Amino acid sequence: MSDPAHDDPRLLLGAALDGELDATGMIEVERRLAADPALAAEYARLRALQGALKTRAPRPSAPEALRARAIAMVQPSRQLKPTTPRRAKPWDAPYRSLAASLVVGVILGAGGYGLVVPQMAQDDVSSAIVAGFVRGRVSGQPVDVATSDRHTVKPWLAGKVPVATTVVDLKTDGFPLVGGRVDVVKNEPVATLIYQRREHQIALSELPDGGGASEPRHETRDGYVLLEWRDSGRRYIAISDLPPAELDAFAAAFRKAAAIEREEPAKP
Amino acid sequence: MVLPHLDDAYGLARWLTGNGADAEDVVQDACLKALAAMDTAVIEKPRPWLLTIVRNTAFTWLQKNRPKGVLLTDDSEYLEAAGAKARDAAGSNPEEALIAAADEAALEAAIQGLPHLFREVVVMRDINGLSYREIAAAIDAPVGTVMSRLARGRAVLVEKLGRR
Repeated sequence: MSDPAHDDPRLLLGAALDGELDATGMIEVERRLAADPALAAEYARLRALQGALKTRAPRPSAPEALRARAIAMVQPSRQLKPTTPRRAKPWDAPYRSLAASLVVGVILGAGGYGLVVPQMAQDDVSSAIVAGFVRGRVSGQPVDVATSDRHTVKPWLAGKVPVATTVVDLKTDGFPLVGGRVDVVKNEPVATLIYQRREHQIALSELPDGGGASEPRHETRDGYVLLEWRDSGRRYIAISDLPPAELDAFAAAFRKAAAIEREEPAKP
Repeated sequence: MVLPHLDDAYGLARWLTGNGADAEDVVQDACLKALAAMDTAVIEKPRPWLLTIVRNTAFTWLQKNRPKGVLLTDDSEYLEAAGAKARDAAGSNPEEALIAAADEAALEAAIQGLPHLFREVVVMRDINGLSYREIAAAIDAPVGTVMSRLARGRAVLVEKLGRR
């Protein structure tokens, strides 16, 4: 073993501190620390330094002017996409939600709910769902609780969102559950489950909804496919970078499993 | 891809250039490069990817504007001296408490005082939280180099902060 770390114990200490050692390496470090008080003192100092850097080293945020310029740089390419919602004009912003609820009311009155979903209210929800999905992919941390065990995900979510969430594992259908997270849609916490399909992920959000059942409906947004349906008073929105056909298969598998689960109450 | 990591990018640029105005220029330049590269590159981890661009942009910028501030080769005498001092200091522990209590200004001054090569690895590791492999890829050097620069940079910091 001509590992450089063995020539200089400080490299080994650093690696231990940074969580870059495997279990064998850690045992080696612990053995050395126990045997060498000077090394242990060095380790304590390095740890103190790392703690201080992590908690108190200045982390400046980008100045607003820079952020604005960066947004402006990103913007032109976005506006080429046809699905981008129109920019709000200054005069309609305060009236937007009022207008949206009026539209909902009128359409409800006309009995057309479910056929025509008001575009503006829809935009808010879809944007939040897309944003949550993108954030999950970009950060590399799509889940708050990572587990394939639905009996772990469900109680975890129960502590975070006000309604019970339908959690089924679709491993046998080729969509293993990888975990759950909480998204925020219109200022309300919403349970989102993450399923895996090859390298792709599907995020399924469950929202409260008074309406009846409705069949899955596609929407494309910023290049992602969204699939929305309603079952037993819940609104489900699945989003993925999978082809639409596979998302359909996912929705079918989920609805089937969910229906089975509703009929026979979950085992503990 | 770029916007969620703008604070990180700016933070790194600021540590590397040492001031806000230069950091803004570097980040803006890096954003342009990132956006240009985005269409062609396959980006698995956007954060390390963007930080790498920021680091390289800052490096080029420093070479052009402050050639004396960038140590292009390891100044071995300096490094040895730093290492030796840190070893002398072994044994006493009030230093540990001093380091742990270092305030923001002391930390900032100590980090800014590091030679560029050490500063970039320490900042990428302890402030941006990149892994050794990610840093190695960013500075285009072996992981062993990252480890030794990190160890030496930290030794200098321990020395500075422990002897106030």
